[in-house]
Amino acid sequence: MKSPDLSVKLGPLTLKNPVMTASGTFGYGLELKDFCPPELLGAVITKGVSLTPWPGNPSPRMKETTGGLINAIGLENMGVEAFIEKALPQLKATGATVAANILGHSPDDYGRLAARLAETDVDLIEVNVSCPNVACGGLSFGASPKMVGEVAALVAENCGGKPFMVKLTPQTADVVEVALAAQEAGAAAVSLINTIPAMAVDLDRRRPSLANVVGGLSGPAIKPVALRQVWQCASALSIPVVGIGGIRTAGDALEFILVGATAVEVGTATLVDPGAPLKIIEGIRQWMLREGMDDLSQLRGGLKI
Amino acid sequence: MDETTPAALIRPGRLVENRPLAENTRLMVIDCPEVAASARPGQFVKVRAWPETADPLLDRPFSIHRLSGGRLELLFRVVGPATEIMAAGQPGDTLKITGPLGCGLNSPADYDRGLYLVGGGIGLAPLAFVRDSLPSQSAARLFYGERCGALQVDQAWLKTWAGDFEAACEDGLGYGEKGLVTAPLARALAREVKPVFACGPSPMLAAVTELAEKFGAPCLVSLEAGMACGLGVCLTCSLPLKNGGRLKVCQNGPVVDGLAVDWAGVR
Repeated sequence: MKSPDLSVKLGPLTLKNPVMTASGTFGYGLELKDFCPPELLGAVITKGVSLTPWPGNPSPRMKETTGGLINAIGLENMGVEAFIEKALPQLKATGATVAANILGHSPDDYGRLAARLAETDVDLIEVNVSCPNVACGGLSFGASPKMVGEVAALVAENCGGKPFMVKLTPQTADVVEVALAAQEAGAAAVSLINTIPAMAVDLDRRRPSLANVVGGLSGPAIKPVALRQVWQCASALSIPVVGIGGIRTAGDALEFILVGATAVEVGTATLVDPGAPLKIIEGIRQWMLREGMDDLSQLRGGLKI
Repeated sequence: MDETTPAALIRPGRLVENRPLAENTRLMVIDCPEVAASARPGQFVKVRAWPETADPLLDRPFSIHRLSGGRLELLFRVVGPATEIMAAGQPGDTLKITGPLGCGLNSPADYDRGLYLVGGGIGLAPLAFVRDSLPSQSAARLFYGERCGALQVDQAWLKTWAGDFEAACEDGLGYGEKGLVTAPLARALAREVKPVFACGPSPMLAAVTELAEKFGAPCLVSLEAGMACGLGVCLTCSLPLKNGGRLKVCQNGPVVDGLAVDWAGVR
């Protein structure tokens, strides 16, 4: 029997397999190369970068909860210029497919970041719209279809034809409406879900566990929420949907593909085991062999309801 | 501290011994030769003593207490579900070990005139390995502080690796003097200035750094912070520096110059 084909199409891009790293869990792409060579992944999604370096939030920044963890890193990053100069050339030199994740505080930030990355050889731009919009009192861009549409349109205008994917927050009245706004603005794909706003407290000290008080929940605990929203979006959109949320095994990844995802991002699992993305790729291959499946399109969206 | 650390490995470790030294404090001996072979004093390992698919989600970081015959010794306090599982570990159990991690004490030979080793509570953990690495163990002196007598480790065991030491106990219900560990340290610094290496709760590290600065003594601290990956990517363990920058405890630390840390921003 022939070896299964794990490759997937994400808009104009062909990924060698459907497994990518979720932004913020794989650094700028080379930090974990000894455990997970970036060129073996579908794509490396690098740590989100802003126009200038951001210092992030005060400490403590993380609290483990049942089946997950809450983080409030505050999007600490080196800034887009340092990323382009120092991180990107080395990462591209490995042969990896690279998606650069971008962050802004205003729609204009996103447009400028897209314009800057248009001049580079990144393969894909992932737009994090879960950041607070400073002009709107800190409300997340991702909460409203209108704001997501505005950001996505600016990226589309400035990205020089490079494909971009909008990473959606689960914190919306209707995630499908937001996803459709991204699609209409020209996104090649949407990815979801980002972390779920959450909180933990320290009873003994009568204090919040995080210095930032609130953070974002990730890990296996959020997988059912993610699966539902990915299923909703995949059912309604014509562009590919990338599933994110609590994926730590090949089975988890395949469940997302079954409900309609084209590809997946692995995040928190990589923090536990830096080799997790590779194990998931290999697990998908083994599963396809067992099932006699030679192409993932035979599984995608095949949920029997 | 430089960042040239030996490459981290993920290896199975075999639990050889797991015994109590005080209420909630235990010593674990783990056979994990490849990780032990490249470990430096002050470095740490991540431990997972439960299945990959089960809670707790994250592996847990522990300073390497000591190397003995190529085995890793970990000193740990039972503070939650992960350490409760570890406390129940039996000889022969397999653990997942990731390490060695972080920057430790890179040039122990520089401390040929000795070090004042200061341990607060479970901050004792890295000090044995540090002491063992010094050119002259007799020139090192341990200062051990604890909140209450019930938490103090077995005194005879402590003597086996620390030699003579000075202890301070806040509730006065244990061995040593009543009060904070900074009191005997201050007296020692007044007698003779030596570099300080401290590990313990951050208020203690801040106080020790201030004291060392007052006496003009270099002060290394081994930091602790909530940590997810331990490999420098997640930035959860990031702490503020006085120069406005930040450090990753897992990668730029855990051993750093206490004077560089912005203690007001460490909680």
